Amino acid sequence: MNWKNVSLVYKKEIQGAIRDRRTLISMIVIPLIFYPLLFLGIGYFTVIGQQSTENLPSQINIIGVENAPQLVEILQKDKNIKIIQSEENPENELLGGKVHLTMHIPEVIETDYLEKDSINPISIIMKYDSTTQRSQLARKRVTALIDYYRQEIIQARLKQIGFDADFLQPFQEQWLDLAPEERKVGSMLGSILPYIIIILIFIGAMHSAVDITAGEKERGTLATLLVSQISRLEIVLGKYFTVMTISAVSMILGLTGLSIAFLTPAYMLGEVSIIRVPFSFSLFFLFLLILAPLVGLASAILILIGIFARNSREASTYVTPIYMIAIFLGMISLSQGIELAKQLFFIPILNNSFVFKELLMGTVNWTHISATLISNISIALLALAAATNMFHRENVLFRS
Amino acid sequence: MIKVTHLKKVFFDKKRGKITAVNDVNFHCRRGQIFGLLGPNGAGKTTTLRILATMMKPTTGEVLVNGYHVAKEAHKVRQSIGFLSGETGLYDRFTPCETILFFGRINGLAEQEIRTSMNEIFQILDMKSFQDVRVDKLSTGMKQKLSIARAIIHNPPVLIFDEPTVGLDVITARVVINYIKEFRNQGKCIIFSTHQMPEAEKLCDEIAIIHKGEILSAGTLADLQQKFREKDLEEIFFKLVKVKVEESA
Repeated sequence: MNWKNVSLVYKKEIQGAIRDRRTLISMIVIPLIFYPLLFLGIGYFTVIGQQSTENLPSQINIIGVENAPQLVEILQKDKNIKIIQSEENPENELLGGKVHLTMHIPEVIETDYLEKDSINPISIIMKYDSTTQRSQLARKRVTALIDYYRQEIIQARLKQIGFDADFLQPFQEQWLDLAPEERKVGSMLGSILPYIIIILIFIGAMHSAVDITAGEKERGTLATLLVSQISRLEIVLGKYFTVMTISAVSMILGLTGLSIAFLTPAYMLGEVSIIRVPFSFSLFFLFLLILAPLVGLASAILILIGIFARNSREASTYVTPIYMIAIFLGMISLSQGIELAKQLFFIPILNNSFVFKELLMGTVNWTHISATLISNISIALLALAAATNMFHRENVLFRS
Repeated sequence: MIKVTHLKKVFFDKKRGKITAVNDVNFHCRRGQIFGLLGPNGAGKTTTLRILATMMKPTTGEVLVNGYHVAKEAHKVRQSIGFLSGETGLYDRFTPCETILFFGRINGLAEQEIRTSMNEIFQILDMKSFQDVRVDKLSTGMKQKLSIARAIIHNPPVLIFDEPTVGLDVITARVVINYIKEFRNQGKCIIFSTHQMPEAEKLCDEIAIIHKGEILSAGTLADLQQKFREKDLEEIFFKLVKVKVEESA
């Protein structure tokens, strides 16, 4: 094998990809411009929407105002609450959006419990519309004020019978999280990052892999390579390294785009706190060690599919289930609490997502890392051998 | 330069079973000669030429190109041939200059050698005016000139042309035909397939009429005319096909 020929094919494919508008859009425009704009847009409008709703008052319709004058007074003091009294079609008014919450107080709520013969809890019936944000906000506001009102009554009653307010609170629990900050970030990133990385690798590799294999077959340019003096293996390797490069660049740009989107202060409108990612050179090296075979594996499988397919359309059809399987395997890491058995670290993609997670949590398990490397590299080599073999098979190269 | 002996190629198709695309084909083509394979679509021309170009392997028989065995010495055969077919495409995102540089390099030529040959070929094929224009912006004629340039950049002694004028307008087809004649004058061994009788009449030194994978008759145009007592090649072709059909019935 002549590496100079591999490099010639590689350079030609990279040059072609750079000039392909579709590759540039999927590799640069989408991750660097579309992702930040999309997430910033979603974040911006969510926050703006919440803020504008939070500035509006909640209309509360109270039926039976006379039964709880103190409660009504507490509600009235809140500038975000406007009380109305309307007994005509209160439900229609609620569902029509004129009123955001209806409160029905059927009986007198007495503070002074000694005046009562027996204590039976009184039901205050609250009606709201869970499908509107303003009604949900009204519920939140009223719940907080009612809790306060309840505490006031309990304290007054306790006082009446000579007990201190602390009587009902024999102790207070204090929860202290001992997890280091890096580990907390690692746990959070460990759930989502492997999944995103796997998606970005496959998205980046898919278009170019199909284009330089099945696409080339379709355009008739593959025959010109087959009658040249470079070997089938050199052609496959040149194309393979191209897909690996494009996939890796897409992933890096994709992560950059997502970082821009999630770390831009505008997303949180000033509320963002700087995330301190646990970084060290050894971690970076281990990440590369795990990432490279994953990129290699995805590229090899996609190249194999592309060479096997008659044309780009057929290749895209074959690639879709592979992509779905990759997403499924990547998604498993999103679930908290799943521990993978040792032998399951030989399942490609699944192993990557769990090793990523471990690394981000600060655990370096060489058994898991070795299993991941052995499995991914072996499958990638098998796929490459199969792809080279396809180049020798007339029924694959010339079927139409 | 090309010697084909008892060539047979069999395919297996799930629906149709065993298909004999080429059956006991024999011919040879010398230096400075244009050998034409004349036959309708599906006659076995493309399969024969793909075997000559090492893209397919013969089921049985022996094929020597420039003295090298196509199955055993494929690499050496590829050094000796230039291949052009109606279905060989070009890279749309490259210019003619970049295309030729790439094919020169993968055919093992030195950088200076490629540039000298490229300039010469571009001069001869009148390609200078569009050598730096992207292929997707070129006309069909310009593209075909580039395909020829690509096939001959490494100066191969054997040229294999599989229906090189298919889909071309009359003017472009004539340009291609003239270049093929020019290559013969340079002493190259040329094998040329077509289903157009006038093209074969004008161009080929020897013609083999191929039908359903078998060569029905071969020789110079004069030989064939004398043998079948017909001046028109088309009439000769139909006579041969009719005899073959009657024989099979």
